[in-house]
Formats: sequence, structure tokens, C-alpha cells
Amino acid sequence: MARRATSTMKQASISEFFEKNKHFLGYDSVQRSIITAVKEAIDNSLDACEEHRILPTISIELRRIPNKSDRILMIAQDNGPGIPAKSIEKVFGSLLFGSRFHTIRQTRGQQGIGITGVVMYSQLTTGKTTHVVSKIAKDATALKMDIGLDTKKNAAIVSNRERIHGFVDHNGLPVEHGLRIEAPMKAKFQRGKKSVGQYLRMTAIVNPHATIRFHAYNEDNELIDSFVSERVTDRLPRPVREIKPHPHGIEIGSLNRLLRDSSERNMRGFLRHTFSGIPMRAMKEILQRSDIDQKIAPGEVSPEASQQILTSFSEVRLMPPPTDCLSPIEDLLIKKGLEKGVDSAFVSTLTRAPSVANGNPFQVEVGLIYGNADVSAEGPIEVLRFANRVPLMYQQGGCLLTKGIESVSWKGYGLDHPGGKGLPKGAATILVHLASTNVQFTSEAKEAVAENEVVMTEIRKALQEIGRHLKNHKKKSAQKAKTKEKFELVNEILPAIATKASNLLGRSEPDLGPIITKIMNAVFCEDEVVWDKEAKVHRCEIKIHNYSARPRAYSILAQYPEKEGVEIIENDLGGKREVRGIWCWKLDTISPNEEGVIRFALKGLAHNEWNSTEVFFRGAGDIIGASKIDEEILIEIQKEEERALEVVKEQASMIAEDAMESDQDNSGDLDQRELEDAMEGVLGDAIPQKLPEEVMDTHDLDNSGTLDQNEVETAILESTEPKEWKFDQYEESGE
Amino acid sequence: MSEAKNREEVIQSLNEVVAEMHDRMLKGTPPTMTLPVRAKTNIEFNQRLGVYKYGKKQTIRDASSLGSARQLLRALHVIEFIEEMIDSEKSSTLREMYYISEGWGLGKFENQNGSNNLAEDLEIVTKCMREDFKLRPEEDGARMIGNVTIEERNRRGEWMTINCRDDVGDSGYGLPYNVEPEKIRLIDEDVDYIMAIETGGMFDRLVENGFDEDSRCALIHLKGQPARSTRRMIKRMSEAWNKPVMVFADCDPWSFRIFASIAYGAIKTAHISEYLATTGAEYLGITADDIEAYDLPSDKLTPKDIEALKAELSDPRFSTGAWQDQINMMLENGKKAEQQSLAKYGLDYVTDEYLPQKLAEFGLGG
Repeated sequence: MARRATSTMKQASISEFFEKNKHFLGYDSVQRSIITAVKEAIDNSLDACEEHRILPTISIELRRIPNKSDRILMIAQDNGPGIPAKSIEKVFGSLLFGSRFHTIRQTRGQQGIGITGVVMYSQLTTGKTTHVVSKIAKDATALKMDIGLDTKKNAAIVSNRERIHGFVDHNGLPVEHGLRIEAPMKAKFQRGKKSVGQYLRMTAIVNPHATIRFHAYNEDNELIDSFVSERVTDRLPRPVREIKPHPHGIEIGSLNRLLRDSSERNMRGFLRHTFSGIPMRAMKEILQRSDIDQKIAPGEVSPEASQQILTSFSEVRLMPPPTDCLSPIEDLLIKKGLEKGVDSAFVSTLTRAPSVANGNPFQVEVGLIYGNADVSAEGPIEVLRFANRVPLMYQQGGCLLTKGIESVSWKGYGLDHPGGKGLPKGAATILVHLASTNVQFTSEAKEAVAENEVVMTEIRKALQEIGRHLKNHKKKSAQKAKTKEKFELVNEILPAIATKASNLLGRSEPDLGPIITKIMNAVFCEDEVVWDKEAKVHRCEIKIHNYSARPRAYSILAQYPEKEGVEIIENDLGGKREVRGIWCWKLDTISPNEEGVIRFALKGLAHNEWNSTEVFFRGAGDIIGASKIDEEILIEIQKEEERALEVVKEQASMIAEDAMESDQDNSGDLDQRELEDAMEGVLGDAIPQKLPEEVMDTHDLDNSGTLDQNEVETAILESTEPKEWKFDQYEESGE
Repeated sequence: MSEAKNREEVIQSLNEVVAEMHDRMLKGTPPTMTLPVRAKTNIEFNQRLGVYKYGKKQTIRDASSLGSARQLLRALHVIEFIEEMIDSEKSSTLREMYYISEGWGLGKFENQNGSNNLAEDLEIVTKCMREDFKLRPEEDGARMIGNVTIEERNRRGEWMTINCRDDVGDSGYGLPYNVEPEKIRLIDEDVDYIMAIETGGMFDRLVENGFDEDSRCALIHLKGQPARSTRRMIKRMSEAWNKPVMVFADCDPWSFRIFASIAYGAIKTAHISEYLATTGAEYLGITADDIEAYDLPSDKLTPKDIEALKAELSDPRFSTGAWQDQINMMLENGKKAEQQSLAKYGLDYVTDEYLPQKLAEFGLGG
């Protein structure tokens, strides 16, 4: 009896729930509802394609329904896997279907109530059903049906269900697999900052692997807005892994719940298997500090003791949570996305290394377009905010991502920033993307990211770095223009003057060498990076012109993106690696009016991954276009490299020590079976994407068929990629 | 300066400019062109000539910067062009030269102002006239009506006699760009003074009212800032026939400058002031006091007007007490007025009342 009552209450509340909460479900106004509906459809498509490793092609059409005010038919079609016949009703007909609320990984759909909300909204505002066509690859025909909702039973009402041939895509070609949704709804089409068009444009930027087509028609079936954004990469976002919670993100309530619900037999197993980031040593220390026996069952831990455990979490040295549960877009792809449709503007993007806030891994990515003709030069810059690849359209002012932008002193980086308050001004666009296993929003509406000091710091660092890119770009362009002028003067105008004057007077031509030296009286550096399409390499040329009166001798240092898989080739002058990311050449003495040239190429980078270099020098006298190297910075970089290596080593030794726990026969070695066991734990996080057999093969140096602790440590170190290193993060900040 | 020079002299002077550049280059230093500073800070009153001339401040255009180097190259192109014209006995307008410069590659001009200025630069450093360079202005001279007789040599080389009252229509005699004795001879006159008028509207009013005959004067329309030939013609007539010159203009800062260019010499052409300026020319009106005394309809001074008036306060040509008073009064009242505001009192007021009263102050028109 009681059970039936509960369930009735729940059913009755579904449409009521929708009505009451439509402001944070995204259906509170006719303008916003259409964006939300499009968003639910496109999120569905992107998620399904990602899961099934399909490169998505998604088409959105909005058609104004004639003779009805504020009625629009939304048509969304994708090339996703389609939905198997037996699941269609569930997917479209019941709220809160699916399991995405219960896992810890970066997921797209965290807002709204999914595609069912669209069916619900359509039905509530028009009384009509939603038309669905779905085809899965293994069926010969597509399945079409009209879906409505029984709001009392929280279930779908299906009508006109039939199998059809001739399900085609936008080119009229037969669809192998895909889904089409046609939902009429009360809605209003608009353009501008808060529109379906803008939402899709933003979606295209952060989903560079998707092709997105958008067409809107008025009552008379005339096209009124459209764009097609082709994918810029064939690489799908990497599959994200689920991770266990990290102790630093746990509150006392959840800890108690985890203890109560745990199926582990003892506390040792509880700590090791419920959380990420607790190596054996830490487990022992936590229990020791909390005065808890390893062997007692989790359910028997007293509230006082669990409080003690929580305290120990913050005192004991833990491993950071694994970060491969995140799926950043990656700076090069953001850049490609931003560059689409923007002419000859400056674009800089940056992906920070993953970081951790309160036990939640997160990662910040930023982008900047400077000189964006679509943005007014007088007003504030355009802000594009994203959380886990989802565009945030509303509540810009109250969002941490916006506050991050506002907190940077843009004036120092060359943007107009009156009073250093609010958004900077100018024809620029700044993009901020926060990828996290747990994005904290300010409210249920999930439109603004909540304050968090650690995340804020990362955002600021990222923005300051692209700010420095902008500043360098501006400085460099100004210097380049000046150098170009001087070169034109001595190479073209002056010889013309000499020739003309001599001809007019019938005299011989004077020697221009000493005059040029007097006019220039400096050493100039010209540098250029070009992409060689044929050879698929980046070629860099650095020219040092000595236009001063005396011979000059320099060592020239140039910045390049040093990372795994990148190799310097065709480097005739040789030279040596100075520190990470900096190569150094010694030039022969350059006489007045002569030049020294350095040429080299880089193999292993994608087109656009390297656009310009920074040139530094050692030696007396300035070089226009290059900076004197700061030896202290070089030392600082070396130290940083060593420190980073130490941290990696320390972690590797902790993990190796941990892995040896799998040595069940206490032989001091891991055999194949024991290694497999270890790889299921922390070792698996440290050596991702490798099978135990491969690890054994490559690292069993003495061919003993087993790995000792040292060999395990080496294996870990070798799979730890040194983080990509950027020189300008050491240069003084623009503030 | 400068009665017409012969071609060897002209070429010689131009070559000196080129030689300055070449000599510097031979010494291993950037080529230069030296010329007087052409600004109000470098004009001085020349006691002997009674006009304002450039002072001793010189500017050296040095090829160390791209802009100056371009100017030197352009100068060389212009010199070459002039020498070619002298050789082939052709002439061209300044505008034609500007278009011809399109073919000069690195030495081409960005706008016609640039080529006009450079032609003036060369006049100044060579002490030649642009007529010597075979360069003609585009601007035509002004119109003149009054009982004076001149001879003009027409394009067939014949001298024709013209009386500027009887032989012309209502638009008057049009001055050619060259008013030197080889083109214009002054033959006879029966006037008491010469009146230069700023605006075409007022010129036509005085012509229609027959003021030239009633008041026994020659009327010359200035067309705003007067062309060189207009100023030269006024100077020649005033000097040859010993006639006073009266300037009748609007009351605004720009009219004051028009007057100064006639009476003292213009800043841009200070190198030939003694040749263009009529010392003793008088400013008849409209003065700042007239606005009050005749209660004329006026306009408010614009920020640009105010800026121009303030600049005139430190212009040596306006350093006399009378001018300082006029300018300060204008700044104080914040008003300016047009010549034609006199029409407030009827079309004949200017010829029946205003001008006779003003002229009487100078002992004229009676």
C-alpha cells in the first residue's frame, strides 16, 4: 500500500516537476526553450557518437510553422548509432533515464533532463507528438514512430510505428545509421549572442571533430540564417575513464555513507579500493593515525573514527588522482576551431596541464582571438565560456570563468582595460573551457561556474600566458614593421638616390657601405618559420644582419617546441641544446654589412603547431628583433627541469613500492600474474594503454621472466611524458 | 630675387641640390637636403623689403629615416623631370606632374599636396620660381573689373589690349596664371584705389551696384586664399600706378590670414614675399568692431576658429597692437560674421552706407 502511494506520487509529479522547475531545466522563455531543445538534441548526438567512436555529422533545422504564432518545428538529424527498437520508448519517454549522475568522469550532459524534456515541452506547448526516425546499422530498414508522454505513468505513448525504407541524409544519400527527431514547440527564433546559431557556433569550436550544419527558415520557407561548420580533425575525443573518488574531495557525510555501504571486508581493502590516490604506505599511515585496525570491517568504524580518517586524509602524503579521466580539446584544435571564419587575426590557445581541486581533477583551456572583425572595437570583448565542452550562454557576469578574465590586468598585455575592472575592451574574443570530473555551478540552472580558488588560479595563469603571447605578438609586429622600413630604406631607396644623383651630375656612384652602417648603426635579426607542405616539416630561418660599424660575434639561441616525437633536422650549423626548448648556435664573426644565417627544420609537428620562434643572443651590443638571454632564467629552467624530474622519480618510487604489494609469494619480484594484479591498481594508472605482457617484455632487462622493484620503477619513469615546456612562462609577466 | 633666370642658371641651381646629396654620400654620410623651416616660428620682418621673409632657421632633411629618404628620392625625380622639360621646351601643370609621378616607382607621391610642397621646397632652395621650372599651377587667377587697361599676349603670341571695364562681361577679366611682364603689360588706369574682395557673392553685388564706377576703383575677386598670380597682379598694379589696396573680407580668422598673405606675405611662400606682398595694403573690414557697431548677424566661433585665432596671436605678422586688439576682441565676443551679413539692411546698404563710411576713414571714396 505504502509502496503504491509513493510510486503514484512520483508519477504524478513528473509533469508538475517539469512545470515547477522549467527555469533551471532551460524552458523558462520562448527564446531560451529553443536553445535548450537544440542543445539536448545535439548533446545526445555528440555523446552517442563519442561512445560508438563515430565522427559526428549533425544537422539542425528550425522551421517556423505557418499561421501559428511562436511555433517552430525543430528537426535534428545525426549519423550516430541510432537507437535499438526496444530502447526508443525509454530514451524518449522517461525522465532521468540513464546513469550519468552516478559516475565520476567528465561528461557532457549535466544540464537539463535530456531529450525527454524536449518531448515533454513539445507536448505541453503544442499538444503534439514528437516524430522520431531511427536506424541502426544491423537493420535493413529504419523505424519511425510518433512519441508522446503519459505524464502520469512517466512513460511513452507510441503511435504510427512502422518500418520504412528511404531514410536519407542532407545529401539525399541513404543513412546507414542515424537518428532524426522532429519536434514542434512554442519557441521564438532570434539571432545574436543568445541564439541557436551562436550556441551551435560555440559547440562547433569545442567539438572540432564534429561537422555541424544549421539552417533556419521563416514562415514562407525562406532561409533566414545558416552556417555549416566542417570538422577540422578526424580524431575523436579520447575515451574518458571513470575514476574512484579522491580522498581530498570527500566530505564527512559521503565518507560515512561509503563506509556504511561498503562491501569490503576490512578497512585495508576499503581505503585501497574505494579511493584513488592512496598508496599502501599512505593507507597504513591513515589507519595508524586514526587508531583503526586494518582488519575491522568498514561498517564498524565509529563516527569519531571516521572524522579522524577524514583529518588524516589531509595530513598524509597522497598521490594525486589520475587525470586521464579528463578530455581536453587540446590547444591546436581549439585554435583551428577559432580560426575558422576569422581572417588574418592573431589567435593563441593554451591547454594547461591537468590539476586537482578538492580531489577533483580539472583542466583549463583558453583561447584568444585578437583583431576579430565580428566584435566591435569600442565595446567589451566577446567571452566564450564552456564547461566540459558545453557552451554556457547565460549568467556571464556571475561566472568564475568571466571573473577569471576580469581579474587579469589586460592593459599590460596590450588590451584596453579601463580602470583594470570588468572585461577588457576591443575587437577580441576570449575563450575559457573548464574540463572537470565535477564542475561546481552557482545554481541548479548550471549556467555559471562557482567560485573556486584553485580553479581561478589556473584560469589566471592560462590567461596570463596567452596575454604574454599577445604582447609578444604586438611587440614583434611593431618591431618587424620598423625593421622592414629600415631595410627598405637602405636596400631600395638609398641605392635609388645614389643612382639618380650620380646620373644627374654625370658622376660615378658612391660606395654605400659606410652610409648604410651610419643609417642603421645596429644589428638586426629577422626570423621566420614556414611550413613545408611537401616535406611535412617546419623550416626556421634566422638572419642576423650586421649593419653596425664593427665586427660582431654572437651566440644565437632560439626557442622551439621541444617534445616527444619532435626532432631537429637539416641543422647544418650544429649547435647544442641549451635547456629544454632552447637550442644554441655559435655564429662566426659577422663583419659590417654582412649577415649570418641559421637554418634548421623541425620534424614531427603538425601544420600550425609552430608559427614563430623567439630569438635570444649572448654577446656584446643589442640586436634589434632579438633579446639578450637572461642567464638566470636559463638556470631557473634547468632547476625546474630537475625538480620536475625529482617529483616524477619520487612518485615512481611510491608507485613501484605499492606495486610490490602484489608480490604475494614475497619473492621480491613480480611474475607475470603478479604484474597483472598490480596493473589493475595504481600501476595501471601510471602505465596507461599498455598490456602487462608488453611491460614485461620491454622492462625485464635481465630476462628473468620477472620484474624487480627497480625495473618497475624504470617502466613507470619511461611512460611518464615530461610535460611540454614553454619558455615564455618564465618571462616576466605583463602586469 | 629673381627676374626670370636663363635655363643654364636654373639647371645649375638644381644641380647644386643634387650635389649636396652626392657630396655627402662621397663622404660616407647619409645624403641631405637643407631648407629653411617653413613655419610661423621662422618668419621675420624684413625691414628693407617691408615684408615677412623666412628667418635663419634651417631644417636638414636627412635620409636616415624612411620618410625623409623618400622625399630626397622624389626631389631627384622632380629635378630630372624639370630638366627634361627645360630641354624639350615643354611645361606641365603641378597636377600633371603628380600623375606623371605614378611612374616613378619608389619616388612616387602619395597625394598632390606632396608634389606641390616639394615643388615649393625646390623653389626655396634654388631661389628659382616655379615658372622657371616650367611648372604651372592648376588654380586659375581671380576676376577683375574696373577702369584699367592692360595688354595680354595671347596663345598666338599677339598682344591684345583689354579694358577691364568696357571689354569684359559681368564676370570680369580673368587673370592668367602668369602675370609677369612677358605676359601682361600695364597700360593705363583711371581709378583711385584697388579693392580686393574675399567672396564671389560680394564681388558680384558690388559689380551689379556699379561700385567700381561710383567709387572709382578696380574690384578684384580673391576667391578665398588668393592665388600667387592674384597677389602678384595686385602688387604690380599698386606699385606701377601707386594705388592704395583695400581688402574687404569676412570677419573670421581665415580672412585675417588672407589679408596677411596680401599685405605681409604668406608663410608658405615667404621665400618670394617681396615679389607677392603689397606692403601698405589695408584691412577695410569687416572688423570685430563692425559686428557690434553695425549690429550684424553673426555666428558663434567654432573650436577650430578659436584655435586659429589663438595661433594668430603668436604669429609675428599679427604682432601689432591693432591686430592683437581685433583678435582678442573676437575671442572675447565669440562671434564672427560674413561680408554678406550686411544684406540685413538691404541690397544697397553695403555700397551706399557701409563702404563709403569705412573708406572715408582712409580718405578714399569721397
